[in-house]
Amino acid sequence: MIPVTPRGFKDILPEEARWRESITMGVQKVLSSWGYAPIETPTLEVLEVLEQGGQLAKMPFRLFDADGALLVLRPDVTLPIARMVASRLEEITKPLRFRYVQSVFREEESLRAQSREFTQIGVESIGLSGAAADAEVILLLVEALKACGLRDFTVAFCTVGVLRDLLDACLRNGEVDDSWRSTVLAACHENNLVAVRRLADDARIDSRHAAALRGLLDVRGGREAIDACRRLVEPLGCVDGLDVLAQTYDIIDQLGAAEHVTVDFSVMSAFDYYTGLVFEAYAPGLGVPLGSGGRYDRMLEAYGTNAPAAGFAFGLERVMHALLEQDAAADVVTDSSVIEEVIIDVSNPIAAFQSAAELRRQGKPAVLVTTREDC
Amino acid sequence: MGEVNTKDSRLKIAVPKGALYPQSVELFAKAGLDVSGLDDPGRQLVFYNQGVEFYIVRPTDIPVFVSYGGVDCAICGKDSLVEAALEVVELADLGYGACRFVVAEPEQALGAAEDAYRRLGIMRIATKYPRITKEYYDREGVQVEIVKMHGNIELAPLCGMAERIVDITATGTTLRENNLVIVDEVLQSTARFVGNPASVRIDSRVRGLAEELAVLV
Repeated sequence: MIPVTPRGFKDILPEEARWRESITMGVQKVLSSWGYAPIETPTLEVLEVLEQGGQLAKMPFRLFDADGALLVLRPDVTLPIARMVASRLEEITKPLRFRYVQSVFREEESLRAQSREFTQIGVESIGLSGAAADAEVILLLVEALKACGLRDFTVAFCTVGVLRDLLDACLRNGEVDDSWRSTVLAACHENNLVAVRRLADDARIDSRHAAALRGLLDVRGGREAIDACRRLVEPLGCVDGLDVLAQTYDIIDQLGAAEHVTVDFSVMSAFDYYTGLVFEAYAPGLGVPLGSGGRYDRMLEAYGTNAPAAGFAFGLERVMHALLEQDAAADVVTDSSVIEEVIIDVSNPIAAFQSAAELRRQGKPAVLVTTREDC
Repeated sequence: MGEVNTKDSRLKIAVPKGALYPQSVELFAKAGLDVSGLDDPGRQLVFYNQGVEFYIVRPTDIPVFVSYGGVDCAICGKDSLVEAALEVVELADLGYGACRFVVAEPEQALGAAEDAYRRLGIMRIATKYPRITKEYYDREGVQVEIVKMHGNIELAPLCGMAERIVDITATGTTLRENNLVIVDEVLQSTARFVGNPASVRIDSRVRGLAEELAVLV
C-alpha cells in the first residue's frame, strides 16, 4: 500500500517550505512594525464556545474527546481570538493589536479539489473604531500583500451598514416580515444578485426602498461610488456607516494606496458577524479571494466583553498561487548551493565542528559532510 | 481606483453546449462580442477571438469552470447552478431556456408511490439531480431514497425500480411519451449570466457585459 495523506492534507518539502518561510517572515516583519504582537491559539476549540461568537466558516472538522466534549479543529482564527480576549484579558483599557500565522482546518466535499488544511496570516485590532481604525486594517492588508511580493491585487470594500439599514427600514414600515429580511441577506451572502432584485420586486415593498435595494449591489468604483450609494439611500435615511466609509476611502487615497482598493457594494461575505466595514482581496488569475476581513463590533459582546474589533486574514497558499500566476515567485536564496561543506575527519571530528562553527560566525551556513556522503 | 489591468487579456467565457447554445451565441453577438466560428463549431471547443475566448462546455460543468476561475463568466441554466451549489455570482436572469423541475410517476401506477410511502414509510426517487431532489423532499418533510442516474431516468419507474422521478422538462413531451404524469413542481429554471467572484470584482468587463445582456433580453 502506498502511504498517502488524508485528502486535502499535504506534506511541505524544503523548496516549498523555504518559500513559505520567506514570505511569512517578510509579512510578520511588516505586521510587527505596525505594532501588532504575535499570538497563538489552540488547534482545538469547544464547538459551543466558538459558535457563541458567530457563524463558523464552512464545515469545521468535529470530534469528541475522551470527556465526551464536542470539539472543532479551528476553522478560522478570528473567533478563537475573540474568545481568548474575553476570557484572558477581561478589562480592555487600551487598544490591542494581534497578528498570527496559523493553519486552519475545514471539511470539504470529496472531488472538489479543495485543501482541508491551509495557513492563514492575519491581524486583529481590538478596542478601536472609526475611519482611522478601518483605514489602518485595509492599509495594513495592502502592505502585507505587497510584502508577499504581489504587485497586482485589489481590496474591494464597502459597509454592511447601508444594507442592514435599508432592510430594517422595510421591516419597520411593516412592508415585510423577518423571513423576507433573512432571505435577502442569504441571497447577498450567496452572491445571487438576480434573487436580490427579485426580492426587491416584492409588491409589499415601498417603491423607493425597492429601487435602492435593486441598485445597491451594483454600486462600485472609486470615491464616486460612495457618492452614488449616498444618492441611492440618503433620501431614505439609510446611511449607516457611509460617512465612516467615505472618510476611510479618503485616508487611503491621500496616503497613495487608492490604486489597490475599489469600493464594491456586492462584497457581502458569507459571515454574519460583520457590523460595518467588510472587504475581500483579489488577484487576477486566482478566481478565489486572497483573503477577507472587516469590522465585527458585537463579537466580543457575545463573550461578555464589550469592545469594537476589526481584522483580516489571508491564505498563504492562495498568495503563493497568485505569485505564480503573476510570475512573481521569488527564488529563495538559501538553497543548498550556498551552504559551505566542511569535511569531517572521523579520527578528529572536533576540528570539523570547530571550522564549521567559525564559518557560521562569519554568517555563512555550513554543513558537515563525510567523503562517503558524496557517493 | 484599483482596477486591475485587463487591457492585454481576453475575457474568458464559457458557453453551454446543447439547448441553450444557439440563443447564447446570438445574445453574445448582439452584445457586440466577436463570436466568429461559434455558429458552426464542429468539434472545436475553444475559440480565441478578438478580445474574448469562448469555451464550449457541458452545461452541468459550467459552475465548476466559473467557480474555480477557469473562465471569468458564463451562461448557465439555473438548474445546473442549484445542483452544483458552488460559489459563483449570479448577475442576470436571461429569461430564455425556461424549463421546470417536476416530480412524475407512471400513469398506470398512479398512487402507487403514495401507497408505498404509507405502507413502507419510504419512497424511491430516481433523478439526475440528487441535490435538488434532496432539498425538495427535505422541504416537504418526506423520507425518500434517492438514486442518482445519468440519463433516461424515465425508465426507472417504468420497470419498477423507483416509484417516482425528479426531472427537468420544457414541454412535457418526453414524460407524456413514456406515460409519466407530473404530480408536483420542484423549481423553475431559466438561463443565467454568472461570473467568477474574483472576476466580477476586479474585471469591470464582466459587470459591463452583465448590464448589456440584461438590457438585450
